[in-house]
Amino acid sequence: MEPEIDLAAFKKIGMIQQKQKEYFAMRLRTVGGDLTAPQLKKISEIAEKYGKGEVHLSTRQGLEIHNVHHTNLEKARLELEPAGIYMGACGPRVRIVVACPGEATCRWGIIDTKILAAELDKKYFREDTPHKFKLSVTGCPHNCAKATENDIGVMGALLPRWIASFCNDCQLCVNICPTKAIERLEDKTAKTKKPGYILRKKKCINCSICTLSCPANSWVIAIKGYNLFIGGTMGKIPRLGTILKKLITSKEELHALIEKSLRYYQREGRKKERFGHMIDRIGWVKVKEELLHGKQG
Amino acid sequence: MENKVKKSIDLHGVACPMNFVKTKAALAGLAKEDLLEVILDEGEAILNVPRSVKEEGHQVIKVENLGSTFKVLIKKG
Ligand code: SF4
Ligand code: SF4
Ligand code: SF4
Repeated sequence: MEPEIDLAAFKKIGMIQQKQKEYFAMRLRTVGGDLTAPQLKKISEIAEKYGKGEVHLSTRQGLEIHNVHHTNLEKARLELEPAGIYMGACGPRVRIVVACPGEATCRWGIIDTKILAAELDKKYFREDTPHKFKLSVTGCPHNCAKATENDIGVMGALLPRWIASFCNDCQLCVNICPTKAIERLEDKTAKTKKPGYILRKKKCINCSICTLSCPANSWVIAIKGYNLFIGGTMGKIPRLGTILKKLITSKEELHALIEKSLRYYQREGRKKERFGHMIDRIGWVKVKEELLHGKQG
Repeated sequence: MENKVKKSIDLHGVACPMNFVKTKAALAGLAKEDLLEVILDEGEAILNVPRSVKEEGHQVIKVENLGSTFKVLIKKG
């Protein structure tokens, strides 16, 4: 028998009807894919009690309990909440925020991804949008959390600077820079008669490879901040995110630009149109101008 | 060059993290300031081994690009 329930309202909190119509998948709210051991125990307990004793990991760090009978959904939800486990989201709204481990544990990490992801989750989670809306925070240009495949993608970024006096001319940097942004020039620093190392800023992708690897600490961090990508999506019509602004040093500015981007999409986006496709419809030049210099918030 | 190369190891085809383990073992057999020459593959190997070597307190003093491998000279710290 088909249950008489408000499917849209259920979807909003991540309770998704399966093709076995009486059964639902319970999508949980995680931030950056983090859960505590007690929370995992609770989820396991609920999956055994109300599901088939199985949990499913989504492609975006989400956790789902499948095969829950519709009459048990509310009970399961109420038993999860005291453990700090809340329902997720589905449908046209802001989904769970993904993040890589970031500087807390990863040696390449430039920013604290967990704090930023939690801030974004707190501000925007489950807000209604024209189509699904995904945010990601990745600690550095290695891009493990795929910032460029999300509607909003924040990436830790730095600009290196070369300090001549420390350099031992080993040439490691020239050989490991992923974009060949570092060039060695013989006798450029004429005074010292030592070769010089030049950064080609246009080629530099702002990673932490040279600053972390240089054996003489000759590459130092001149600017540390965020690269902000917007309009990325996978799905039926994939589109990589476009860089809105590089090396944003203030977190306030970053938050303001994300806010502006989301509001713009909520105002201008058409039903079933992802943010990136809206950007292509309106035109990047106009969108960029609006987001960086426009008045409307 | 002040010091002579004391040891040479070819780690072409040796994957992470075994390449670093072998580099570390080779360095362990040397005295402070001795030089070790290591052949490393492009990609992960050249990205990770010199960085790990630095974390252990040794110093890379020369990297020579040989095509798809690199000759790396390391001074024991
Ligand atoms: S994106 Fe960077 S900081 Fe994040 S896990 Fe990957 S390498 Fe580490
Ligand atoms: S890696 Fe550092 S020490 Fe070696 S050449 Fe580059 S800047 Fe100089
Ligand atoms: S930050 Fe990355 S891309 Fe830029 S110069 Fe250093 S290694 Fe190359």
